[in-house]
Formats: sequence, C-alpha cells, structure tokens
Amino acid sequence: MDSRYLIDKHFLRQHTYRLLLYLLLFVSCAIMLLPFFWMVTTSFKLESEVLRMPPQWFPKDWLWRNYIKAWNVAPFGRYFFNSFFMAITTTIGEVITTILAAYAFAKMRFFGKNVLFAILLATLMIPGQMLLIPNYVTITRLGWFDRYEALIIPWLASVFGIFLLRQFFRSIPDELQDAARIDGCSRLRFLWQIVVPLSKPAIMTVALLKFLGSWNAFLWVLIMTNSNKMRTVPVGLTLFSSEVGTAYEQLMAASVLAIIPVLILFFFTQKQFIQGVARTGIK
Amino acid sequence: MKSWKIGVLGLVVVLLFGLLAVADDPVTITFWHAMSSRHQPNLQKLIDDFMVEYPNITVEAIYQGGYGDLQQKINAAVVAGNVPAIAQVYENWVTPIVEVLYPIGPAMTDEEKADIIDGLVGSNTYNGILYTVPFNKSIMVFYYRKDLVPTPPVTWEEYLQMAKDLTADTNDDGTIDQFGTGFRPAANPEQFLNFLDEAGGSILNEDWTEVTINNEAGLQAMEYAVSLAPYSLVTSSYMSDAFQANQVCMFIDTSAGYYYNNQAAETAGFEMGVVRVPMGPVNQRSMIQGTNLAVFDINQTQAQKDAAVLLARFLLRAENTVFWAEKGGYQPVTKSAYVTEEWESWVATHEYQQAMSAQMLDGFAQILHPNYGDIRYVIATMFEEAMLGEATPKEALDNGAAEIEALLE
Repeated sequence: MDSRYLIDKHFLRQHTYRLLLYLLLFVSCAIMLLPFFWMVTTSFKLESEVLRMPPQWFPKDWLWRNYIKAWNVAPFGRYFFNSFFMAITTTIGEVITTILAAYAFAKMRFFGKNVLFAILLATLMIPGQMLLIPNYVTITRLGWFDRYEALIIPWLASVFGIFLLRQFFRSIPDELQDAARIDGCSRLRFLWQIVVPLSKPAIMTVALLKFLGSWNAFLWVLIMTNSNKMRTVPVGLTLFSSEVGTAYEQLMAASVLAIIPVLILFFFTQKQFIQGVARTGIK
Repeated sequence: MKSWKIGVLGLVVVLLFGLLAVADDPVTITFWHAMSSRHQPNLQKLIDDFMVEYPNITVEAIYQGGYGDLQQKINAAVVAGNVPAIAQVYENWVTPIVEVLYPIGPAMTDEEKADIIDGLVGSNTYNGILYTVPFNKSIMVFYYRKDLVPTPPVTWEEYLQMAKDLTADTNDDGTIDQFGTGFRPAANPEQFLNFLDEAGGSILNEDWTEVTINNEAGLQAMEYAVSLAPYSLVTSSYMSDAFQANQVCMFIDTSAGYYYNNQAAETAGFEMGVVRVPMGPVNQRSMIQGTNLAVFDINQTQAQKDAAVLLARFLLRAENTVFWAEKGGYQPVTKSAYVTEEWESWVATHEYQQAMSAQMLDGFAQILHPNYGDIRYVIATMFEEAMLGEATPKEALDNGAAEIEALLE
C-alpha cells in the first residue's frame, strides 16, 4: 500500500477526531453559557421583552437603567460589603480550623478518635432545616442576633471540610512525618511546612466551596438578621420575586452584579480549583 | 382652699400629665412582612402616613423574604421570644401560635369589625375572638384572551366546550401548541379548591374530624378538572409566561397576578379580559388568598401592642385598603371601601375590577387547620397526578384523603 495514503488516512482520522472533539466541546460550552448569556442580555431588556416568544436573544435597546433600578431597590452596597466580609472571614476561619482538625484525625493517635469522627460525620446527616429553630434560639440567647457574630462564628468550622482534608492528609505517607519528627520538627511545623503545601489543591477546594457557600448563603442570613445593615446579596435578590410574578430584568441585573466577584475569584484561582476538583472528585 | 382639696387637685393634675406623658412616649414597633420590591414603596407610604398621624410611633418595616421564609422566621422567633410587634401571617400559621398573639378584635369598634368582608371574618377568628385582621388579599378570577374568546364562559359546561374548541395545533406539527386553558397544580392547588367549593365540597368537615375531599362533590370537582386536562397546559411556571407565549387562551388565577398577566398580554399583542370564574353546580365562589396581620403578645410592652393594633386598624381604613388595592393589585378588605367614591371611580375606569370586586365579596377563605400547609401540599400532589393522568380522579382523591387523614392525627 502507498505509504502516503497511509499518512493521509492517519492525518485525516486524527483531524476528524479533533474536529468532532472541538465540536462537542463547543456545543457543551454553548449549553453551559446559555444561562449566563440569557442572564446578561435579560438584564438589559425591557420587561416586555423578557419572555417574548419566539425568544428575543438581544434587547432592542440596551437598558442600563435596569441596573440602576435594581441597585436602588435595596442598599446593595452594604449587602455586597456584608457578603464579602462574611465570605472572606468564614473562608479563612474554616480553612484554619479544618486543617488543624483534619490533621488530628488523619495523623494523630488519641482516645476515641474514630468514635469522635463518626459522631462528626453523623452530624452531616441532620437536615439543616431541622436545626434552624434550635440554632436561632442559641444565636438569640448568645446575644448574637442581627450581628456579624451570627453570620460568621457558626461557620468557622465545617465537618465536610474536615472529612475532605482528612482523606487527603491520610494519603501523605506517615514515614514523612516520622522523618520530620526525628529531625526535631514539631507537629505544627510539620503541618504548616509539609502537609499544607502538599495539600494545596484540596485546601483550595475547601476554601472555594466555603467562599461560594457563604457568598450564596440565604436562609441563615435571612433568619439570623433583621436589619439591612446586616443582610447580604442573596437576601436582596429575593426582593424581585413574589408569589405571582418576578421582575426578571431587575433580578437578572442584580444577579449579574452578584456573580461578578465570584467570576473574578474563579479567574484567579481556576488552576487550583480544577486541580482540587480533579483530585478530590468534588465540584 | 382646704388642703385636702389642693391635694386632690394636685393628684389629678399629676395623673393627667402622667397620662399625657405616657400617650406621647415614643414607641418603636417592628413589622415583619414578605412584600416584594414592587409592593414595598406602597407599604412604606402607608406606614409613613401612619407615622404622620401618630408621631410618637415609629414603625420599622422589615422584609423577611418570601412567605415560606417569613413563616420559618416567625416560628423560630416565637420559640426564642424575639417576635416582632406585628407581622403578616397566613391563617394556618396562626392556629398553632394563637396563644402568643394579642387579639386585635377586642381593641376595635363594633363598626370596624362589622365592616370586614364576611368571607374574611371566620378566617381571622380563633376561639371566637377576632385575633387577626385581613391585609393583602386577592381573589381567584378568570382571565381570557379577548381576541379568541369574544364571550367568556359563564358555566362549567361552557368553559369545557370553549377549552376544547380553542385547543389547536396551529402549526400542524402534530403537537398541540395552543391550549384552551391551563393549570399549575403543583404551585396553585387553589385552582382545584375553587372547583371543589363550586361543587359544594370541602377539604374537611366543620370540626376537622373527618376528611371530606373525596366525597361525591370532591369527585365531581376532580372529574371536571380532569375533563379539562386534554385541553389544558399543565405547567409549573407562572400562567403569565404561558399566556405571553400564546400557549393558553384562558385560565383561573389570582387577582394579584393581574399586573403580570396583563403585561404578558400586552407583550404578546392581544387584549386580556377578566370575569368571574365560571359557575359550578352549586355556586360561583372562588378562593380568597393572601395574608392577615397579627399582633404579638410576648416580649412587647403594652405601648408596643397598642401601637401595633393602631397600625392594623389604620391599614383597615377604607382609604388605606383602597390605596393598597389600587397600587398593589390586591382587593379592599372592608365593605365600606367598596362604596367609597375613590374605589367606585377606580372600578369605573378599570373594567377588570368589576369582576374582581364581585368575586371578592362572596369569596371563601382558607381553612385554619394548623396542618393546612401540609394538607395543601397533598392537594397539590393529587391535583397534579390527576391532571397528568397518573391516577384516576377517584384514585387521586382517595390517596390524597388518606394522606390528609394522617395529617389530622
């Protein structure tokens, strides 16, 4: 057989495969982007253009006033500050407590370790809704109601985060710890200088999940606060909907504003985020 | 003057000043509500008017999310003891917490009480006392496309026939794209409860000891609903969305949805009409929806409770319930409001209000059973199953009745 023909065939097969792959990726990407596209274009539409059939993909006039209207519905400036403050402090706090607890469960020996860990895991099975009223009572009695303490302190630890990091820390060989300790390294130093750098993707995943969780937290904030000065962006977003209808164009304008910080965060941390997802199998 | 007389006079003066001082003491009350951004400016306007009239009272209106969120928050606050002075409540939320409420009725005049629309008195009365008062009330009415329905149906039979006639495959692709009517059973089981009442049925008997939803009247109502199913778009979205997309020609929906339904019609380029719901075998009533106002008795000073009662009474005044209705798409909740010049001229210039007003004045309200939230969910499920053909009307009703029975225990 002609060798040129063979090369061409191989070349063709490889390119067809690649073309199909890109086509598939393009279609998947378009499907994923469609809601974002709809959100952004809707945020500029007239109320009457939102649900028009057949769909109107682009607004006739790009109305910035939807953003102004939405912004003025509630003190969104304050809401954004609170969302940031809550998300950043809970993320930092959770990462610290989770690393310490996960290390203890993964690498230390102490009485009742497994029982304690099982109890911790069991708390994951209790639906959050069931705990809402007892938590509300606790927060109120502690005098934290409608204060930052209520928004931050209960979220400084996470059983799920501990579980995730413990699994990751366990994959680090014990011999490494033994060698370090023989060389006079304390547990804390070993944790911060060896375990943490080795576990960066998993820690980033915990941090990002926490940041997103805090940024999107709705019910807890709504229940534990009363005043506008303590509320966050997701609470503000509910203002646009009622039982009988929704002001979609304003809701979408506010939603665009709400996801911008998350998008920026993702752009800066996407490498770690993707690594974390790949290694832990969680997204 | 004798010294004892001076003493008495002095005491009287001191008491009078004391009373005046108490009356003028500044008092702050909180009002928890679930009104979205469209309604908040109107609510704030009413509150501002109230504060002008009672300058010593400050009302802090606090948005607490949707109705479900508000209910959760009220329940939690009752346990923790940090309730608001006044809040929006649904009838069934009140039943389990009535002992922590401060009844508004005893502080009202007989005229004020008698002025509340008849259909709303029972649903605000607990243990024979008017505890709460109606606030943002809407009524189920019949919406239709004027271009396709020149004469709206008056009876169930006409409704069914028209739904059948209007259902069409307009683009000949083998699937129906224009339905005569539409239902959203999961979100709006009140559409079925209308049929149930019109057939003379009820969910429970008078003293809540027996489930009656699957009796003969219940079956008649469900069979009628299912007879409409082939000509109905069964959806979970707002009816206004389907209306705008030319998917439905007529439907039963709350009057509070008028703004959105009309907006949909205008966008789609047709005119919308509003009439009473079609007449059933027994009556032509429909369900009143929306919340009432409750004043809390715990952790509030007497001055706060009095101020909250004053606010509730203020909101019931004809001019205020009319303002709230005109601006927010709700219905006035007192009889006197319907004969005010303002409302009559509003109705004269807003044709759709004629049907809504007529429907409201003989509407029926939600039952007060404490588990109504769960009962409503069961009804929604059975209604959906029947409409989607997953169960026969009898099966759906019997299954639902058994579930409701369990909720009564």
